[in-house]
Amino acid sequence: MSFNIFICGVGGQGLVLLTNVLGRACLKSGFKAITGEMYGLSQRSGSVSVHMRIGDDAYSPLIPVGEGNVLVALEAIEALRYIEYLKKGGLALVNRRVMHPPVETAGLVRDRSRKYFSLEDVVSRLRRYTGRVAVIDALAAAKEAGNPNTENTVFLGCLSALRELPLDPEKVREAIAEAVPERTVDQNLRAFELGRAAAKEALCGFGVCRD
Amino acid sequence: MVLKDVISGGKGQAFMLCNEAIVRGAIEADVKVVAFYPGAPTSEILDTFSEALGSFDYHMQIATNEKVALEICAGASFAGFRSLTAMKSVGMNVASDTLFVLGYTGVRGGLVVVMADDPHAHSSQSEQDGRFFAPNAYVPMLEPSTAQEAKEMVKEAFAISERHRVPVIVRTVTRVNHQSGVVELGEIRRGKFERARWRDLKEEYLTLGEVARRKKVRMLERRAELEKEFEGSAFNSVLRGEGGAGTGIVTSSVSYLYVLEALKSLGLLGRVPVLKLGTTYPVPRRLVADFIRGLKGVIVVEELSPYLENEVAAIAKDANPAAGIFGKRSGHFSEAWELNPDLVSEGIASVLGLEHRDKKVIVEEARALKEGMPDRYPTFCPGCPHRGTFAALSQALRALSASGKGYYFANDIGCYSMWVFPPISKADSSLCMGASVGIANGLSNVIEERVVAVVGDSTFYHAALPAILNAVHNRNKFTLFILDNSVTAMTGQQPNLSTEYTAGWREGKRVPIEDVCRAAGAEFVEVVDSYSVKENVPVFRRALEYEGLAVVVSRRECALYGDRRKRRRGEKITPFEVDKSVCRRPYACIRDVYCPAHEIDGDGQPRISPELCDGCSVCSRMCAFGSIRRAGAGTGNENGTGNHKRDDKEKEKEKEGAGERR
Repeated sequence: MSFNIFICGVGGQGLVLLTNVLGRACLKSGFKAITGEMYGLSQRSGSVSVHMRIGDDAYSPLIPVGEGNVLVALEAIEALRYIEYLKKGGLALVNRRVMHPPVETAGLVRDRSRKYFSLEDVVSRLRRYTGRVAVIDALAAAKEAGNPNTENTVFLGCLSALRELPLDPEKVREAIAEAVPERTVDQNLRAFELGRAAAKEALCGFGVCRD
Repeated sequence: MVLKDVISGGKGQAFMLCNEAIVRGAIEADVKVVAFYPGAPTSEILDTFSEALGSFDYHMQIATNEKVALEICAGASFAGFRSLTAMKSVGMNVASDTLFVLGYTGVRGGLVVVMADDPHAHSSQSEQDGRFFAPNAYVPMLEPSTAQEAKEMVKEAFAISERHRVPVIVRTVTRVNHQSGVVELGEIRRGKFERARWRDLKEEYLTLGEVARRKKVRMLERRAELEKEFEGSAFNSVLRGEGGAGTGIVTSSVSYLYVLEALKSLGLLGRVPVLKLGTTYPVPRRLVADFIRGLKGVIVVEELSPYLENEVAAIAKDANPAAGIFGKRSGHFSEAWELNPDLVSEGIASVLGLEHRDKKVIVEEARALKEGMPDRYPTFCPGCPHRGTFAALSQALRALSASGKGYYFANDIGCYSMWVFPPISKADSSLCMGASVGIANGLSNVIEERVVAVVGDSTFYHAALPAILNAVHNRNKFTLFILDNSVTAMTGQQPNLSTEYTAGWREGKRVPIEDVCRAAGAEFVEVVDSYSVKENVPVFRRALEYEGLAVVVSRRECALYGDRRKRRRGEKITPFEVDKSVCRRPYACIRDVYCPAHEIDGDGQPRISPELCDGCSVCSRMCAFGSIRRAGAGTGNENGTGNHKRDDKEKEKEKEGAGERR
């Protein structure tokens, strides 16, 4: 059986690097991996997504609808945008960070009575789809690690805490050290550990953690 | 990208993007000359070759357009050098003039053209099906499904090209180019790059009239030879089914992977025979005939047009006239948009009369949950110079409308295209590279309103120049804004003629746009700094009222490119912040600007995200109260000047850092 991770976020958050690290860790662990990456017009601030599939019978680069084991959202609203890819009852790992698109802010300027679509709006709707929603403060963890751009690595830490994900966290660490810019290796490894710790706190109630 | 995977000498495995695997394949095949004009989804091929340039001995050019890129490769090939170019299939429209004659003239050194279609128009103006170039130009075509196969095919394509003296197209789609996977690395054995002596190689590469007629006959012979070779190609494979007079599947490209996934989910893997074609022009007809003989039905699974389906139907007419052919024509698959595993499952199940897991319930439930959530359109990055240009242009256009004159706005292909998306939604037309200027030449003579056209720097050199010369010569009256952000930004900030650098961060001579326009005879040519919004409004207004061709070059480097250079120089980006005690909330900083870094706080006042702000200062220039300031500065509005002039020491410093990993 393949293990499917749907990763989404906003252009500039480092989804491609996150995917590369996971893929390298798969290779180190002897697993087949294939991805479908979507970042055409989204240099910064557009919606970006990656289908990541691990396992010998993962043929297609795209995850069939409703067959994602985990949905990773580096930005909260994006989790809802791609929710149909998650299995019913699957695990949604969601950044608490909301980046309001300019079109939404424009609406608020035109009509002052309007309100932003909030984290609470996202999470309550996600919970109607799956009972397993974990909200991670990745930006805070990334800042604590010394580099606010390491949110992606925080989520690698979260993923590596999952029992279902057949990857040795040590292999993920090695892959991070190979793939990130040299001067940021230490910050990324710290972000990874903070992500693991955050996941344990947020996820263990669901019984999905390794230890 | 992790460069060392691409350049590592040893064998082994690496997890890489298909576009990187293509580069690796070409390097293993000892490619000597590469040339490109960037275009999604192939741009990473250019980028990877550019990064690897320090490691291997090959010649690389970033060309003005795809046609020039193909000609660079053809020239090298005539002298026996293996050469490769890659382009999106709309780029092939530009290059095809040359491709068609190369079919006639033939080539010498292996010439490989990677051509990517973009089903679903993810990052293109159309869903063009580029496969038809191959039969039209009598040029063979290979189609990979995975990164591994793309690498193998590129290597083999060089050999095919040399055996048959013909360019070879390796045709991909976005879901192949932007697919990563585990790739087996082959040995790298590079020959030394040495100039050839034409006098030793001399042969004719020409075609016209009588010569063309003779060569056409030779092309037909070559096609027959290629078809015979492809009958036995390892890129075509048959997955056996249980046999019997059942239904089989013919497929290619990424659709093959969707077919495997669909058969798995339907429990049919190993039960339904599948013919996977890797050589799709010429189609190996005997192989297809052998596959469909005895079958009751054939399902053809492919994206876009019924290219293979027409071939299969024609072959079946002789080989198995009773077989049902299912695909686009039967209505089981659409010619619109890309396929995916679910659409393929649904199509196969409906042909076979099987139950399949209907995903409509999930999709409907998701749709209901998404109600009222905001869209996230592609938009200008924080710090993007286009934001400043358009802020001033919006004001100038409003003034033009208020005067009763009105305008037509022709947009073009580049980051500035995003002005067509909400919340701005401004453009009367947007077609293809450089077309805004051609359209302006036509419209400005037939409508009352002022015609305003926009192109970027890269588009200016690529395809707009002939239309600009046309405007000068014919005394056409319109306003042209050339947005010069120093690089080809949308495809990943590749250098172009407006950059001091070229491939591999080597020196390149800048070709200043304003000099070209003035030399061509344009009489109104102004150069402005994109960030100077207020100062630019009167300049833009004059340009809109000018009786003749008015050219405005709005210049500021792309923010992403600029950020990278700042990082290399060790400069910090200082964000701006709103002084809430001064802000009176007219939202001028948001209107006409719409920056992703801006949000409205709970108290109704604007807030600037320090993580997203690029410190460009444009919003601060819009505020009449001076409430937006650089963090820690404490002074009023900022009026910086352009940053194009830099001293040599700075340049040196950048070059030193150029080899660092991204």
